[in-house]
Amino acid sequence: MKKEFATFLLLVILCVIVTALNPRFLSAANLQNTARLIGAFGIFSLGLGLVIVTGGIDLSVGSAFALLGVLLSIMLTEWHLAWPLAVLAVIALGAVLGALNGLLITRLGLQPFIVTLCGLLLYRGLARFIADDETKGFGDAAGFQTLQRLATGSLLHVPTPFVALVLTSLVMWVVLHRSVFGRHLFATGRNETAARYSGIKVQRVIVSAYVILGILTGIAAIVFAFYTNSVSPSSHGSFFELYGIAAAVLGGCSLRGGEGSVVGILVGTTLLQVLQNLVNLLGIPSSLNFAVMGGVILIGAVGDQVLQRRATRVAAV
Amino acid sequence: MSSKRTAALLCATLVCLSGCARERSSTRRLAFITNNAADFWTIARKGTEKADAELTDATVEFRLGDGTAAAQKRIVDDLLAKGVDGIAISPVDPANQTAMLNDAAKQALVFTHDSDAPDSRRECYVGTDNVAAGRQAGELIKEALPQGGKIALFVGKLDARNAQERLQGIKEAIAGTTIELIDVRTDDTDQVRAKANVSEMLVAHADVAALVGLWSYNGPAILNAVRDAGKVGQVKIVAFDEDDETLAGVKAGAIVGTVVQQPFEFGYQSITLLDKALKGDRSGVPASKQVFIPTMVIRQNTVDEFRTKVTTLRGR
Repeated sequence: MKKEFATFLLLVILCVIVTALNPRFLSAANLQNTARLIGAFGIFSLGLGLVIVTGGIDLSVGSAFALLGVLLSIMLTEWHLAWPLAVLAVIALGAVLGALNGLLITRLGLQPFIVTLCGLLLYRGLARFIADDETKGFGDAAGFQTLQRLATGSLLHVPTPFVALVLTSLVMWVVLHRSVFGRHLFATGRNETAARYSGIKVQRVIVSAYVILGILTGIAAIVFAFYTNSVSPSSHGSFFELYGIAAAVLGGCSLRGGEGSVVGILVGTTLLQVLQNLVNLLGIPSSLNFAVMGGVILIGAVGDQVLQRRATRVAAV
Repeated sequence: MSSKRTAALLCATLVCLSGCARERSSTRRLAFITNNAADFWTIARKGTEKADAELTDATVEFRLGDGTAAAQKRIVDDLLAKGVDGIAISPVDPANQTAMLNDAAKQALVFTHDSDAPDSRRECYVGTDNVAAGRQAGELIKEALPQGGKIALFVGKLDARNAQERLQGIKEAIAGTTIELIDVRTDDTDQVRAKANVSEMLVAHADVAALVGLWSYNGPAILNAVRDAGKVGQVKIVAFDEDDETLAGVKAGAIVGTVVQQPFEFGYQSITLLDKALKGDRSGVPASKQVFIPTMVIRQNTVDEFRTKVTTLRGR
């Protein structure tokens, strides 16, 4: 049984239980709220999943949200840059940060954990310094209302971040599961040396994965910045990389690399958001938020393991 | 010749040393330590700078914490090593920092500001009476909901002392009315979660009449979520502190009012009182060892004036 199927099953069971306890779970307003968050978290989780498939990791995503968010606010409200330009700059900077991570990992042979841990500290510090430890906001978005509408609005009642996630997923599905590059990603993650000997340009593949993550981080940074409408440099996006990593692993990515799927990452992201949503909808005390998340995921992991073992035993008999 | 030169050198050294010693004894070194980095402290810094400018024979050092007790310990140790005379600190975790504060109090005069550590050997506390601030917010809620109704509170962490005290003040103010507090949701200072909590509250309790944000970013988070849900005006909002967006919301009438502290006074009063006490004048320190800087309620009619003041203080 595929891992993402177990997570999907868990998600469905959870949704049925929550709906039974509070039918408002399926109300349009709640679905829109949750879809918006799934969109925002899903976009960068897909990128993180890609990096995890190559056997890497990126811990700097949350800090990058703060840095890019602060810069976006400065570009729009202080420099009064045209918004398409500011958007391009943020996404390009995301890509540059990703490329930098990738190059440090491949050219200097540094561990992804160390490189991106330094990013986590570095970007957070830079964000705070640039913002002078002040919250950077967008106010009433004078001059860039179109961008605000794009980032926070809806298309036929579907929140735009979710639409963006659907589009990104389609592209990423082709990239990961239907392209030569995708094959190379899996090969690199499963056995880098073997991949190199079979003629795959391993370094280029890894750097590309980090660049794609950087681009998606840039897009998600814009969505998050407009979701809160202000960026407080010391706390914005803190630990968000863990949601991405958890979503990827829940969706069947192996932290050892070489395994994972776009559908799995989407299911993982949705599960994490639904778990937080149900805490609020069912009126479970906020203090139990993380406990519920941890508990349900653990039940899922245990259940999955038990089923896998049984399946192997049946196959052996 | 050589002995004469040695003597001259010795004399010069002595003169130099005594000079240094004299300078040391006459210039008091004061320090102001925050709990974390926030806009709030930018304003407090202005207050310490004003005090610094006024005190000709004292130097003031301003240090930002990072939200952890460990960072504060490091800062305090650094300052003590440098020979600081007085410290005003906003302890992150008062209950467990008592020992650290007592150790510091052996070498320097210690004040707490913003958040108090009453069990420690701190000389004085300068800051907000958060229970009173909570009562002010409670009055705003009562005004907004003359018919009563359900209210919900939002805050970063409920185990923080100021959150507990503000909550207590609100409960005191609404006691005996038909206003019902249905829930307090926390977000661990994750602002995305802060807004999502509000959106989800509006779904879970469609009949909620007022939402209150206890920490500065909760105001904007509530406002944005209520706006997204198309319920501005229908759901009343009461906030704390002077976030730009909160003030804009008050101005637009979307937020009933916000209860603000006076961080400038935290900075100014802490430093001037600390300096006075170091000079032996304890008249500024009351018997209760608590100096309360009153909180103010900002409404639509007073918001412009207040905004101008804050903008100047932030140096924008």
